[in-house]
Parts: sequence; structure tokens; C-alpha cells
Amino acid sequence: MAPFYKYGFFGDEMSLVLAFVLGTGFGFFLERAGFGSARKLAAQFYLYDMSVFKVMFTAIVTAMLGVTYLGWLGWLDLSLVYLVPTHLVPQIVGGLVLGVGFVVGGYCPGTSVASLATGRIDGFVYAFGIGAGTLVYAEVFPWLKGFVNSNDMGQVTLPEVFDLPWGVVVFAVVMIAVAGFSAATFIERRIGDRS
Amino acid sequence: MKLPALTLNQKLAIVAVALGTLALFSVPHRGPVVTLDTRELALIVEKEVDHVTPSELAGWIVQGRSDYRLIDLRAESEYAAYHIPTAENVTVAALPDFPFLRNEKIVLYSDGGIHAAQAWMLMQAQGYRAVYTVLGGLEGWKDDVLYPALPAQASGAERARFERAVALSRFFGGEPRAEGGAVAPVPTELPKLAAPVPSGAGSPVAPRKKKKEGC
Repeated sequence: MAPFYKYGFFGDEMSLVLAFVLGTGFGFFLERAGFGSARKLAAQFYLYDMSVFKVMFTAIVTAMLGVTYLGWLGWLDLSLVYLVPTHLVPQIVGGLVLGVGFVVGGYCPGTSVASLATGRIDGFVYAFGIGAGTLVYAEVFPWLKGFVNSNDMGQVTLPEVFDLPWGVVVFAVVMIAVAGFSAATFIERRIGDRS
Repeated sequence: MKLPALTLNQKLAIVAVALGTLALFSVPHRGPVVTLDTRELALIVEKEVDHVTPSELAGWIVQGRSDYRLIDLRAESEYAAYHIPTAENVTVAALPDFPFLRNEKIVLYSDGGIHAAQAWMLMQAQGYRAVYTVLGGLEGWKDDVLYPALPAQASGAERARFERAVALSRFFGGEPRAEGGAVAPVPTELPKLAAPVPSGAGSPVAPRKKKKEGC
């Protein structure tokens, strides 16, 4: 029965070891997808290389289908899976801030560490910036606290918000992904041809 | 007619669509039906590891611990009249639908021990593992914490324990009995609800510590 940690199959120490192994694997595949390079990532925003969109949406669909089927088979208790509580407006603002940083810096937090690991100087600078930004955020957090904690919707999922059966949401997300991939390929060809 | 050769991406897309379509009929497991390990439960009951004594609980409240939820299973009116500080009111009927987290430590109490024990079993059946009951319920709380009594011909250890109990009793607005020797009956009047609570920040419930999870 999963999640293994909640069912006590391993403790805190082992979970840190596993986090290291999984994180290394994550970084490896980011690098393999070419995301250790800021050029590749920035290309997403100029729409001539949609790899970021495709890789991330593929990850979402793969994980969603995996979780759905494991839950269906009864191997995973979905009520035990931790969900980050939704604070709609603060999280949209946070997403925009992250997006601006993504465009300007050419990395997102995960990919910057992957690029740092391969020895890129811009990756190092970006990762250093994350550290400095985190410190500043921690210092000003008391002033932001009210806003950050506003709009609390609790731990919600799309089936609950839209009041739809679980399977319908899964099916819809897969369809959106497939349509998105086709559209992305189409856009790549158009923009790629022009440039 | 020959079908055009598919790229790997197109094949993967077909697999995803097939899985997504099949998922339309999925009913993800959320654990309402469980198999109880009756031997394990019997051992828990026999070894009494599911008990929290009233004095232990009182100690936790004094320390301001927030790693557990104290649940008062009695009716709302009884809860309004008196409850153990920091307790939340959830009646037994409301318990199955109350949104507890699976990994929360839940401490139940009722008047005596029976409702709490039955509720404990309900919670086990719903897959909540870290559920405890207050030994003796609210009666136990009154006897041990609010109105502790010093037995006649008390030994030194008993005396020392009573000293500590007196301090706890005063803290919760109770009244220790029989410092002179004679055991007085338990007062029927319960302390006012404004029992002192350590957090001091105005709220009777200490702020819950944020779970370190997620990314």
C-alpha cells in the first residue's frame, strides 16, 4: 500500500535518501531533455521550440494516469497523498513572478540546479539568486503573510472544484494534452519556418 | 490501403488517449472499505497503547503541544457547558464525515469511556491509525486532573504525585481535594470555561505547526 512513507515503510532518514535519488533522477532527465541550457528554455517563450511545454505536460499526464490507475487498483490511498493547499490569487501572483524570472533568467528553479550540476556559469548565478531571493522573502514574509494566506481554498482537486467524476477530469486533461501537443507542433513548424 | 507509419510521439499519444478513455470508468480508491486486522487491533486494546491518561493530556495542554487534535464526542450543549481546554466538538454521528487527515494524531474523549472506545473502533475501520482515547473520559479528567484526591495513608511517592497534581488542578481551574486527609466528594460544579491556557496569544488553541511537505 502506498504512499510508503505514510504507511511507515520507511522513516525520515530513508525518505531523505530517496528524495536525493529521485531528485538526481529528475535532474538527469531535465538535462537529457536539453533543459540544462537556458537557450532551450528561453526558446519556449519565443514559441519556436515547445519542448518545455511538451515535456512538462507529458510529465503531468504520465503522473496523473499512474496515480489514477494505482488508486483504482487499490495500491495507493489518494486521501493520504499530500496536496498543497490552494490560495488562488496569491498562487496566480506567485506563478507570474516565477514566470517573469523564468523569461529573464532563462531557468526555473529545478533546471537551474541541473545546469549548475553540468558546470554552467549562468546556472550558478541563477541558483545563487534563488538562495538570495529566498532569504529576502523570508525576511519580508511577515509583511506578506496576510496576502500569502488569503483566499484559502484548502486541499482541493479539480474533480471537487468542478463537481465532476474523477475519470471525466482525467479524460479531459489527456484530451487537452493531446490537442496541446498537436497545436505545439503546428506552432513550431510555422514559427520555425519563418525564422 | 496502407496506413501511414506513426511516429513514436503519435504512438505514445494513442496510448495516453486509450488510458485516459479507460480512466473514465475508474473509481480511485479512497479507502472507505477496509480490511481490519483484528489480531493487531486486539493487541492494541490489550496492551492499552491506545490510551492517553488524563494527566498526560493535561501535561500536553500545559506544554502547548499542537501535534494532536483533541476531540470532544459529547453533544453540543454539554460541550458548551464544559470541555477540556483546546478540545474541538465532533459528535459521534458527525465523526465519519469529519475531515481529519489520515496521519493526524487524534485523541477522543466522551463522558465515560464507552462512546470514545466505540468511536475509536469507527476510526480504525476508516483507516485512521493514530487514534487514542482519554482513559476514563471526562470523568477521569475530573478525578485525576480537576479534583485530584490524596489517598489516606499515602506513601511518599503518592504524596509527590499529589503535589504535581495540585499544581495541574489549579492550572485548569480545579480544586484539589482532601489535603487534610478526609476525601471530599467530587464537586458537581465544573470550573468556568475560561480556564487558563498556556498559549497566551488569545486563541485557546495553539497554532498548528505547518507540515513540512510538498516542494
